[in-house]
Amino acid sequence: MEMLVFAGAAVVKIAVVMGVVLLTVAFLTLAERKVLSWMQDRMGPMEVGPYGILQPIADGIKLFFKEDIVPAGANRLLFSLAPILSLVPAFIGFAVVPYGPNREIELFGVTIKPFIITDINIGILYILAFTSIGAYGIILGGWASNNKYSLLGGLRAAAQVISYELNVGLAIISVLILAGSLSMVTIAEKQAGSILNWNVIGMGHGAGIWWWFPVTQIVAFVVYVISAVAETNRLPFDLPEAESELVAGWMTEYSGMRFAFFFMAEYANMILVSCIASVLFLGGYHAPYPGTLLPANLAWIEGVAWFTVKVYGFLFLFFWLRATLPRLRYDQLMRFGWKVMLPLALGNIVITAIVVYFLRD
Amino acid sequence: MAVAQWVKTLTFYEILVGMKATITVFIDRILLRKRKAITLQYPHEKRDLPGTYRGMIALLRYDDGTDKCVGCDLCEAACPSRVITVISSEVEGEPMKRYAKEYYMDMTRCLFCGLCVQACPVDALAMTKEYEWAKYNKRDLYLNKEQLLALGDRNFPVREKKLEFQHPNVAYFNIGYKNLPPKDS
Repeated sequence: MEMLVFAGAAVVKIAVVMGVVLLTVAFLTLAERKVLSWMQDRMGPMEVGPYGILQPIADGIKLFFKEDIVPAGANRLLFSLAPILSLVPAFIGFAVVPYGPNREIELFGVTIKPFIITDINIGILYILAFTSIGAYGIILGGWASNNKYSLLGGLRAAAQVISYELNVGLAIISVLILAGSLSMVTIAEKQAGSILNWNVIGMGHGAGIWWWFPVTQIVAFVVYVISAVAETNRLPFDLPEAESELVAGWMTEYSGMRFAFFFMAEYANMILVSCIASVLFLGGYHAPYPGTLLPANLAWIEGVAWFTVKVYGFLFLFFWLRATLPRLRYDQLMRFGWKVMLPLALGNIVITAIVVYFLRD
Repeated sequence: MAVAQWVKTLTFYEILVGMKATITVFIDRILLRKRKAITLQYPHEKRDLPGTYRGMIALLRYDDGTDKCVGCDLCEAACPSRVITVISSEVEGEPMKRYAKEYYMDMTRCLFCGLCVQACPVDALAMTKEYEWAKYNKRDLYLNKEQLLALGDRNFPVREKKLEFQHPNVAYFNIGYKNLPPKDS
């Protein structure tokens, strides 16, 4: 019975999270087109539904019914496997993201945490491990297409993801030093208080009279955001699918539902990266002011709302960057990753470690 | 100087300037409503065409419904793309009068230069403002005389391109923009 309730609760949570994420992915495509057009004096989609709000549904139906083309000479198995290999890791990371306060409720004698699917103690490591698998989807898709543009795109994606994954990891390590835990819930809990306790400002880590000393993670934050944009292959780092050079990169030969899988994976990755950024650096579900405005039993609404605001703020930043910046050249991208981001992240770890060592005593 | 440059580099100054530009447009558009999209929602709204727009070519008639065209073939000679085919013939019972028995225009080749209109000595050709002539079948653009006359009737109900060109002897003068015949002579 207890097992049944536990499993049932888990299934319900998974269903809700997947539903929300898929819905967000669908309407993110519309939001991106709209925001871009508003920044460029255009209108964006206007035909399907009022102001084009039903465009994602039309796109989805179209992609679903399109002919499923496998190019001649393609490796059928890997060609079909690649989109799934790309999509699953993108969705799997949402399992450990805390969407709201770390509350526990009793349901038929079983303790359930309603705002996180599962609170494993290696949460952030789990996300990093699985999102890295997504790179396999891209490079296998590029290789299996039997197309030189696809292969070039896949190679670029692999090199780029490896380079910037490293910076993401190093940026996260300094946060781990502050939190002392790999669990996403613990990291978010440690930033309770106000905006000053968020890891971008980083107060509250000192002992005694040094409580105010800010162990600011602004450098790690900037490194993380830039690397996250690069890791999700978004502009200005969209070299793997650079349409002016490589047609559509690793997606050139894909059409219909397989293309949709790649597309959904890209947007799901964007959401996941935004969730991680808000949890690690911006206090997750904590409001920028101390405490909550709503009474204690309704405080979770506020927590979820703040988390949502932060995540959508990040997603807007993605669109904003895309509307502003041109694509980097490939050598610039690599130089920036290895010669600028990596030393910055490493230096930040050293400084954070030293400062925290002296502050904690 | 070098210090200022370093500060600019470290704070992503140039990128921030660019991002300010985009967000300014965004805010002006969405919040302040100061800007408008330059988009024209094409099938729903259409651009105002200039008076000299060169669209589909039409054959014109006189007010009594007879063709202006005298079948002189000058348009065929003037056409750089060999669009026009004229088969001219005598009007039955009137040996001095000729007309175009058949008149074809292959609009797949037409480049809308307007040389045929300029070449026409009787002002029988005109350029309309029609441009939505996408067809599923390419042969539908091989227009015959009836279709060209229908185009003219549809677009020039007064059956004259310009009112000041209306002249009783208009058929006998080479009407150009330069040498207009005096009105009452």
